Amino acid sequence: MFGGLREKLLVARNRLGSSIYGAAATQSPPELGLSTGKTAPAPETSKPISPLSPTFVDKVRVLITDRELIVSEKDVSDALSELEMTLLESDVAMPVSDAIISHVKISLVGKHRKIGDSVDALVVGALKSALLDVLGSGFNLADYVRTHNRPVKILFTGVNGTGKTTTVAKIGAYLKKMGFTVVIGAGDTYRAGAIEQIGVHAERIGIKIIQHQEGADPSAVLFDAVQYAVSHKIDVVLADTAGRFHTKSNLMSQLEKIKRVMKPDLVIYIDEAVAGNDAVIRAAEFEKTVGSDAVILTKADMDSRGGAAISIAHTIGKPLMFLGTGQGYDDIIPFEPEQVVEDLLGGGT
Amino acid sequence: MLDNLSTSLKDALKKLAGKTVIDRAAVDELVKDLQRALISSDVNVKLVMELSKAIRTRSLDEQLPKGTNVREHVLRIVYQELVRLVWASTDVKLEPQTILMAGLQGSGKTTTTAKLARYFQKKGMKAGVICADTFRPGAYDQISTLCAKINVPCFGNPLEKDANKITREGLEHLKDLELIIVDTQGRHALEADLIREIIELNILTKATHRWLVIDAALGQQASEQARRFHEAIDIDGVIITKMDGTAKGGGALSAVAETRSGIVFIGSGETIEDLERFNSDGFISRLLGMGDLKALVERAEEAIKADDVDVNAMMKGKFTLRDMYKQLEALNKMGPLKQIMGMLPMGNMELPEGVYDVTSTKMVRYRIIMDSMTPGELDDPSLITSSRLQRIARGAGATPDEVRELLKYFKMMQRTLKGLRGGGGKFNMQRLMKRFSGMQ
Repeated sequence: MFGGLREKLLVARNRLGSSIYGAAATQSPPELGLSTGKTAPAPETSKPISPLSPTFVDKVRVLITDRELIVSEKDVSDALSELEMTLLESDVAMPVSDAIISHVKISLVGKHRKIGDSVDALVVGALKSALLDVLGSGFNLADYVRTHNRPVKILFTGVNGTGKTTTVAKIGAYLKKMGFTVVIGAGDTYRAGAIEQIGVHAERIGIKIIQHQEGADPSAVLFDAVQYAVSHKIDVVLADTAGRFHTKSNLMSQLEKIKRVMKPDLVIYIDEAVAGNDAVIRAAEFEKTVGSDAVILTKADMDSRGGAAISIAHTIGKPLMFLGTGQGYDDIIPFEPEQVVEDLLGGGT
Repeated sequence: MLDNLSTSLKDALKKLAGKTVIDRAAVDELVKDLQRALISSDVNVKLVMELSKAIRTRSLDEQLPKGTNVREHVLRIVYQELVRLVWASTDVKLEPQTILMAGLQGSGKTTTTAKLARYFQKKGMKAGVICADTFRPGAYDQISTLCAKINVPCFGNPLEKDANKITREGLEHLKDLELIIVDTQGRHALEADLIREIIELNILTKATHRWLVIDAALGQQASEQARRFHEAIDIDGVIITKMDGTAKGGGALSAVAETRSGIVFIGSGETIEDLERFNSDGFISRLLGMGDLKALVERAEEAIKADDVDVNAMMKGKFTLRDMYKQLEALNKMGPLKQIMGMLPMGNMELPEGVYDVTSTKMVRYRIIMDSMTPGELDDPSLITSSRLQRIARGAGATPDEVRELLKYFKMMQRTLKGLRGGGGKFNMQRLMKRFSGMQ
């Protein structure tokens, strides 16, 4: 769905390309609705450096509103190129930020032509719609489990060191708290200490774990986990797997085999919030080989900017389910895009 | 490994290939391409901006040195600026030492610890590992399994929660060993307690090296995290891990710039042997996709003395055989042609196999032929009549045809140089080479 967005944006951008110039000129004197209380902004004054919360959207808003008032198409493009920088600094991958910029540009220019609305509202509206479009609608795991045949089988995938095992434990704790019964399949049979790691987690949160020894076939382990869930009428099977790079074709085909054998209801792709441009490449590769139904972003406590969320969501168009935000079992929060975007834009119009 | 970056840079530089004067628009475009290339490799945006600003200013302001074309000039600036970014490589000495590992969760510290132990073990050192990761379940199992595989002693206690206590005991326990690597728990810079812990560990171990492990995929956060770690324990080296994926490791470059240290090792695989020593000499050249540029720059400077050739006269069209002789001589001084070509940013130029040998022998022949000319003839080739041509050929032991070929080549050079008036240089290797290959 987001792949479509990008194409749409490109087409629209080309169509609008020439009208951008005319549009900015017809702009009526805009009122500033910024909470900073600034009214008639002097053109070309020093850019206010937002001393408050420098989240990226704040920065963006200040940049665009204040720049935009200097009524000329050249300044719109200046403001947009700074918006681009802001996105890039927030770890939004290059192609994704390009797409967002063009989206914002189109909304801005289109609006100006019709009404001379307040610039603030325009910018917030444009950004909001751009971000919401990219972030999709979220994913409620508890609802999913309630409305599907048990056991619900969930397979976790991702590259090395993104936090799959920890996340599996957190989700186990989360579902258990919601009143579901859970079994974990220790499918990371490769990394030394991985079985012990998930074993300790399972013990701490009081969840049954199905494990073989190191070096075993992960498909077999996970198949056993599913069998156990079926015979014990367990609600959810959480299948941990070894981290693997999308460039290792043997490991990727192993993942395909796992998928064939355990037939997961949900494939969840896990990546870290601190990842840069590579997030896009590997998400696309995983999507291509094993597919995915939802995304979990870990280590979000390290990074308040969350550009990776936007990159990944934009690239594979799958909803973000949870954010991992710390080392405790409770450090996981469901991702609600409206809420997040609302928070980001500071409750603006 | 940084292939993509090097491809994008090459493309950017290619655009300057045909230019003979510094053209603001072209430099702007190059800088923009460079920015995009670096940012999509995850190099810190601010760093990229500083870098590109420096490159832009220097490219436009600095005078084109004699004997280089625009592309070489800009390339050299890009190269020098990138070198400043990467700093010096960190020395790894094979002597008794303690290494403290630091890094974010999941960056690959434990795996790298084992790889490092293996690396030093292979170099003949007695290495040991202390597992000071008291938080992550299975951490001790992981490192002890890996160490058992390579017969390296590993000290740890999965039941103990105090990293300081374990480390103190570990240092005592492993005190006979030459090299001790302390693996620590993953932490990020905002976790004050954990930062305090690693400061304590640093004091306790009196670590010789404090190495920061950075995931190649780490994005813009790299600078910030590296800075905080550096403030806490004075990082003196960076290890990039997971270079076997598609990530380009630009985050590690930011970390290096931030900590003013060097990249020590690169981890590029899951087996214990997959660790390479990193050497920053020539790294940028490889990054730019063009052999050892540094050596080339040095050689060129040695070989071409400014007064060797009268560039100005040449630009006025006064290019004589004598100038060409000097040119060939200068080339010769720089060493075997093939080697020079290997060091050159060849860009879009493909030389067929075997051309190297033919051209270099041909150059020698040309010089011999010119040696057989009189000073007058060298200054004014139009003096060469058919009888003089016969004499020159006999004197040089060549055929008259070869002499004619030389004269033809000379005329071509002369025409080329006239066309270049106002820019370029007498030392236009690519053009020269094209002529040669065209004459085969």
